[in-house]
Amino acid sequence: MAMAFAGKRLSKMNEHLPPGITLVKSDTLEEWQMDIKVLDDNPLYKDQTYRLKFTFSDKYPIEPPEVQFIELPTTSDTPRPIPIHPHIYSNGIICLDLLGRSGWSPVQTVESVCMSLQSMLTANTKDERPPGNNDFVAYNRRRIRDINFVYEDDNV
Amino acid sequence: MDIQDFLALGAESNTEGQVDLRALDHVSSYDSHLMCPICHCPFIKPVRLQCDHVFCEKCLRSAITTFHSADSDHFPCPSCRTPTRHVSMSVPRLLTNMCDEIQVRCPLAENGCQELVPRGHIQSHVEKYCGYQLVPCPDESCDKKTRKKDLQAEKRCRHSYCRCSRCEEDVMEQDYEEHDLELCPNLRATCVDCGTMVVQRTLKNHIEACPEVVSPCAGSKYGCQARIRRAEISTHEQQCPLVAIGPYFEAQNTRINSLELNMQHLQQRNEVFEDGLANIRSTLVESSRISSRHGSGPTADTDESADRASNASSSNATTYLLSLHESLREEVNQITYALTDLDARASMSIMNECLRIKEDMAHTNAAVNTVRMQVQWLMNPRLHNDTRTASLRANGANSGAEARQLMAASAPGPSNAAGASLGPLRPRRPSDGGREGTKL
Repeated sequence: MAMAFAGKRLSKMNEHLPPGITLVKSDTLEEWQMDIKVLDDNPLYKDQTYRLKFTFSDKYPIEPPEVQFIELPTTSDTPRPIPIHPHIYSNGIICLDLLGRSGWSPVQTVESVCMSLQSMLTANTKDERPPGNNDFVAYNRRRIRDINFVYEDDNV
Repeated sequence: MDIQDFLALGAESNTEGQVDLRALDHVSSYDSHLMCPICHCPFIKPVRLQCDHVFCEKCLRSAITTFHSADSDHFPCPSCRTPTRHVSMSVPRLLTNMCDEIQVRCPLAENGCQELVPRGHIQSHVEKYCGYQLVPCPDESCDKKTRKKDLQAEKRCRHSYCRCSRCEEDVMEQDYEEHDLELCPNLRATCVDCGTMVVQRTLKNHIEACPEVVSPCAGSKYGCQARIRRAEISTHEQQCPLVAIGPYFEAQNTRINSLELNMQHLQQRNEVFEDGLANIRSTLVESSRISSRHGSGPTADTDESADRASNASSSNATTYLLSLHESLREEVNQITYALTDLDARASMSIMNECLRIKEDMAHTNAAVNTVRMQVQWLMNPRLHNDTRTASLRANGANSGAEARQLMAASAPGPSNAAGASLGPLRPRRPSDGGREGTKL
């Protein structure tokens, strides 16, 4: 079912994307890449563009897509760092209830997820990584969908 | 109905042979409100929740099975997360009608059907009317399928091969008509211009080279009206004055183009210069306005430089800027002089003030001294009296003269005599003594 209308969603999405969000790569229906920018002048993210990778399962949109930031080296034409945020690990994995099975709703779309992430970045003032970032980055070998996040912070 | 019934209903429904409405190609654009927020297609069998959110039946069912935990009898609405118990199968007919009238392409388009049908009719179109639906061959010994429209009244198998008379190729009977009219490689066609017969596939190439085709003269873009057969066009072109003059036109055109480019470039540069000039002028006006407020000297100076600047607009700006700089320097010098002058004046006046204040202070000092002396002089007789009464009380027999002597000895100075003379003028009651003593 997912594949039947993923393409339909794509064609609809290209018509009008919200500001600060661009579709970079959608050559397969399983993986898309998006670029997002934070629009206000939060000094942490000013003038930066971040690359998001969406991985869709067969059951999308009933099940959430896997979403993470990916890093492109500063030497490439389009450098894409991992934004610094107390809920984003330095390997790009995002701790957001919206993307977990409990917070996901099938009416969410790629745009709405991107916009949620935009606002998550906009609202942030802390220049820090999540607690235990180094251990997590070093030892995590699980897939994103298998990680049990604890969503303790309701402020973000 | 509540959730359990709703889910059970889904298990029974059978979708065999149904057109998958989600996979359809929607030709006409439709309102986004007619779109199921889960599958992003126009609603298919819409159902409604208590919170008035509408979803496709199938989408909602899969959402419920994912998010509904078995032990609870409610689940969150996918749109607004309102806890919901009941699903209403009735939605306004308006909604279903609007969804059903959206134009879609027949799903058999890859078989050749070009039909556009309202979505509500697509099921019956595919089942009954679409000629591109594949049906089993009426001949039971043949296992091939045939398109419905190829079935003829006699209902016989058209899968046997027959030979094309022109290309000697075996073609299936049902495709023969198409082969005969379009696909056969040996099909001939007549060139409309020269009347020769050519193989249909090469007709296009032939038309490009056919000597009989009428084509315009090479000088047509410069105004030659002649349209002649291709065979004769070369003789015409040799005589045509417009063709002869063609290269010249070309050269002129390129020249004009490059000149236009040049002109654009120059215009841009000119604009830049004009901007710069305007800037310089505005600074000039400002500076002259400022300097006219200060004295007469700099005014004359800047007037001069203004004059110079106005004709310097054609000559060079550097001299003008230098002169401006010079005049500003002079202004600064003048301001420095004025400052020193003011400084001297200020210190002079401060000195004067100081002297005056010192004198005043001396006066005040003297006055204070006098007052102090007066007070002392006034106090002396009192003290004198006090001691006298006290000693009188204490000693009883002691003579007042002795006490007076004591007082006189303890209070020397000019006021002494006055005190002694004033003392008796002020008779005191005995009760006063203690009070005076404590006061002192």
